[in-house]
Amino acid sequence: MSSTQTDTAAAGSIEASKIYGEGDTEIRALDEVTVSFETSRFTAIMGPSGSGKSTLMHCLAGLDRLSSGRVFIGDTYLDELSESQLTELRRDKIGFVFQAFNLIPTLSALENITLPMDLAGRKPNKEWMDTVIDTLGMRPRLEHRPSELSGGQQQRVAVARALASQPQIVFADEPTGNLDSRAGTDLLDFMSHAVADLGQTIVMVTHDPSAAAHSDRVIFLADGKIRDEMIEPTADRVLDLMKQLGD
Amino acid sequence: MFKVALKDILARKRRLVTTGLAIILGIAFLTGTQVLSGVLKNSIESLVGTAYVGFDAVVRSPDEQDLGFGQKLRSPVPESLANEVDQVSGVRNALGVVETTSAQLVGTNGKIVGSNFGPPTIVYNWLEDPQLQVGKLIEGRQPAALDEIVLDFSSAKDAGYKLGDQVTISAQTGSEKFSLVGLMGLGENGDLAGGAKMLHFTTPTAQRLGKLPEEFSYIAVAAEEGTSQATLANGLAAALPDEQIVTGEKFTRENQKSVSQFVDILTTFVSVFGYVALFVACFIIYNTFSILVAQRTKETALLRAIGAKRKQVLLAIVLEAVLVGLVASVLGLIGGVLLASVLKTLVGTFFTVQPGIPTLSAGAVATAFIVGVGVTVLSGLVPAWRSTKVPPIAALTDISVDRSSVSRARVIWGTLFLLGGIALLALGLADAGPNPLVLFGCGAVLFLVSVAVVLGPLIAAPFSRFLIWPFTRGSAITPRLAGENAARNPRRTAATAAALTIGVTLVTLIAVMASSIKASVESTVNSTISADFVINSSTFSIGTGIPTTAVVQARQVPGVQLASPVRFAPLRLTDEYSQKQAATKSGPAQANPFGAPDAAPPGEDTFVLGIEPQTYFKVNDVGTLQGSPKDMLPGTFGAELKEADKHGWKLGDKVPMYFARTGVQELELALTFDQGSGGGSYLLPLETFEANVLALFNTDFVVYVKAEPGADLAQVRTQLDAIVADSPAISVQDLGEFADAQTAPFDTFLAVVYGLLGLAVIIALIGIANTLSLSVLERTRELGLLRAVGMSRKQLRRTVIGESMIIAVLGTVIGLVIGIIFSFALSVVISADSPGLFKYTLPTGQLVIITIVAALAGVLAALAPAWRASRLDVLKAVSSV
Repeated sequence: MSSTQTDTAAAGSIEASKIYGEGDTEIRALDEVTVSFETSRFTAIMGPSGSGKSTLMHCLAGLDRLSSGRVFIGDTYLDELSESQLTELRRDKIGFVFQAFNLIPTLSALENITLPMDLAGRKPNKEWMDTVIDTLGMRPRLEHRPSELSGGQQQRVAVARALASQPQIVFADEPTGNLDSRAGTDLLDFMSHAVADLGQTIVMVTHDPSAAAHSDRVIFLADGKIRDEMIEPTADRVLDLMKQLGD
Repeated sequence: MFKVALKDILARKRRLVTTGLAIILGIAFLTGTQVLSGVLKNSIESLVGTAYVGFDAVVRSPDEQDLGFGQKLRSPVPESLANEVDQVSGVRNALGVVETTSAQLVGTNGKIVGSNFGPPTIVYNWLEDPQLQVGKLIEGRQPAALDEIVLDFSSAKDAGYKLGDQVTISAQTGSEKFSLVGLMGLGENGDLAGGAKMLHFTTPTAQRLGKLPEEFSYIAVAAEEGTSQATLANGLAAALPDEQIVTGEKFTRENQKSVSQFVDILTTFVSVFGYVALFVACFIIYNTFSILVAQRTKETALLRAIGAKRKQVLLAIVLEAVLVGLVASVLGLIGGVLLASVLKTLVGTFFTVQPGIPTLSAGAVATAFIVGVGVTVLSGLVPAWRSTKVPPIAALTDISVDRSSVSRARVIWGTLFLLGGIALLALGLADAGPNPLVLFGCGAVLFLVSVAVVLGPLIAAPFSRFLIWPFTRGSAITPRLAGENAARNPRRTAATAAALTIGVTLVTLIAVMASSIKASVESTVNSTISADFVINSSTFSIGTGIPTTAVVQARQVPGVQLASPVRFAPLRLTDEYSQKQAATKSGPAQANPFGAPDAAPPGEDTFVLGIEPQTYFKVNDVGTLQGSPKDMLPGTFGAELKEADKHGWKLGDKVPMYFARTGVQELELALTFDQGSGGGSYLLPLETFEANVLALFNTDFVVYVKAEPGADLAQVRTQLDAIVADSPAISVQDLGEFADAQTAPFDTFLAVVYGLLGLAVIIALIGIANTLSLSVLERTRELGLLRAVGMSRKQLRRTVIGESMIIAVLGTVIGLVIGIIFSFALSVVISADSPGLFKYTLPTGQLVIITIVAALAGVLAALAPAWRASRLDVLKAVSSV
């Protein structure tokens, strides 16, 4: 373990393994994965289903625990935290965007955005909030309930929520999976913008090459192992690499 | 795959049980009461059977006074009759029996043994014939001297007496001491406790205590060997045509019946609460099925899409309801037997009950299944029908779960129900139809249902938001979420709350009526009684009361201006109007006994107060008098104006009344008054009262004492206290204490009613827990999201608990409002009946406490679902698509 890794990385894993089952039925969802995600970068994790990409993200985000190895967010090793400390970490240091069902239906868009801070009993940073909301163009819809928003708008609210508390890192799990291509592209543009202009760190799991093309760096996972990575990806190059890896 | 299938069934089985829990409790309660009542009746009947088993015939007076509840009190027979009976052929032995309730046993702690609501205390004379003597001696010897007593072993133990002790008896003549020379019990071996406290004395002592000088209650007869009871009774009837003769068997049956009737009344009373609980259970079943059907919309739609018919969908859910009903009924039956066993042990401390586990009668089993399955299926029908309206296309679209709103049809039907309910309530209150109570009950049910289905869903959402409003200042997100969760599905929230509403409505109604009655009694006592003190007795067995010497002594106390005694006795009015009234509600004709039939002519039974006209009206304000107290000479009576008008009597009219001791007497109406004090609508001057009622009733039941102006009240009280010092049942009270004493028995009754209503409330809480569990299940994804973005387990628990409290308080507040409306309606009717007497009083403190308790109960109901929600696997929740 080198100390430089933790100094420059927003998050990462060291020989992280996740094993389900025992003996013959043993499945290695993650197999000694060591990876780091730099601050203020937009990283995509790609791979076929069952490659372990979601498991990696869940473990990094403190939603799941490793079988062996370690994961860290900033200078905090997650295996050292109790259940309630993990909850606080998710609340204060991590932002989430899921594929769907991102919002609490009984709360307005604004309440959804401030939810993690309300849970912590903290006041949002007004200036930052305004920046996020305006960047995402959500101001006219703040009082609406999720059911009154389109799918793309809902996902934008989710991104706003993830960014609102100025977390160390945002994890996005197939954020465009349920959107049509136009709404998806819009959302991804917003995310790139958040990284480039606002200095946020985003890790996104996706299986869509064109989504991955919005990122700064793509990590390819298969059978629980990192197979390859690509800096400054384009959709075509990602697709090619995927084909190669599939063979 | 097999494992998955098995798990599915197991999971379903558990849900069947939780759904049925409400039904299980209701059925267990009903079955338990029924089984226990059967055990009690059998036990009591066999105990009564052993008591009089030696009697072959009973010779008694045909003159009887009806006391209500099937209880009759007969005139005594002269002592000499025993000898006459003894001469009749076929009679081996005939002995006079003294059997009265005119004394109380005082324990070693100086208190009366037993309560007014328990089995009676009976004075017997010891019979020199082992066949006729009630019960068997098990220790010591029979009473031989005038100051000796034999007690039943169970009462002796309760009172704390051993053989050789001096036993205190409180009788009409004051307290007396007797030496305990023997112990007895019922049954062949004398080892059964009868419940009743049996005091056996020598015949002269029993006659003195029972106020039967040279008289007996009846004559018990033992037949000669080989003479049947019927032959014996026939022979006696021929020889003694003026007396009534019953065989020993019939005498036993009569006694058994009168006790059983009491058990039946009690059982019916308790069963009512079982049905209330089941009514509450209906709401819960309905709600649970509604939620399940809504959650299964996709599954149903899929079934429909692949070709299931509407009927098949309906049938599937009805079948599930039947299954729930069946399982719940079986478990309820088992629970009922267990409950009965526990209660039996409790009852067993009072008297000997049949040993062994109580058995279920076929009737109890049938009732349990019919009620259990019926209630479940009926409650499940509406949700089942609703599920058939799920279109197959719903399987393909992503429709959200149970988006309930208040439709126009709901409002229309609800309003119709509400109006129907109000109409029935009004009819019931107006005493219309053959059974106004049933009308009132049906009206109340309709009213409650309509409020639950219309008003509830309409106000559930705004109410929930209003309730959490004070807690949502700043960024408090937990109460906000709790409120929104309660508000998001108003129909579900309202139906869940409605279950609690029923119990709270009843509790409120009773609490308001109780406080009103208390306030009314207090105000009536204060406004109509102008005495300074009341000498009052805490027992009300017939024949117990204040010694008639007390009033004489009270008058001699310095500073006492006057002392006015009041007595109390049953009487039958036999005027034309009363006979007509009696004819409309006459019971089944009774089989003729041997000898003289019952002598009482048809008429209406009521009671009468024996008063001293020259003092009574000075301490009792009975409103405007027509006629003068001076006119109340012997041979006259006074009546409340309302009663006189109803019967069509005018001053000076002669009215026939029947007394067991003297037969029909024509008394002249000498006085009418506006309203009776102490419930006395009829007043007799003391001389007339004494001359006509059975000796047992010639004891004062209260004595009003008025001090001279300026007298030292404390001193007067001390001296009055001294007069009744040796009678633990009698005390001197000021008006405040007297008012309290009037309502004290009521408090016991209230405690019992509240306890029984607790069942309905518990079932309602199960309902809240059930709904929350299903809601938590339904919101798995949402709760997972909350946890993922940083909600702690504690915060999540608080959200669920908050939602539960909102539901509980909603149900309670609606219940309070309806209860207050019902009680107000009742009070209007009561006030119309007797204007100015009823004071409608809201027990504000109690109602606040009820609300707080309900909110806390909400916390209790939420504990399990909240715990489950907080243990939710976050990963599963967010990753399950």
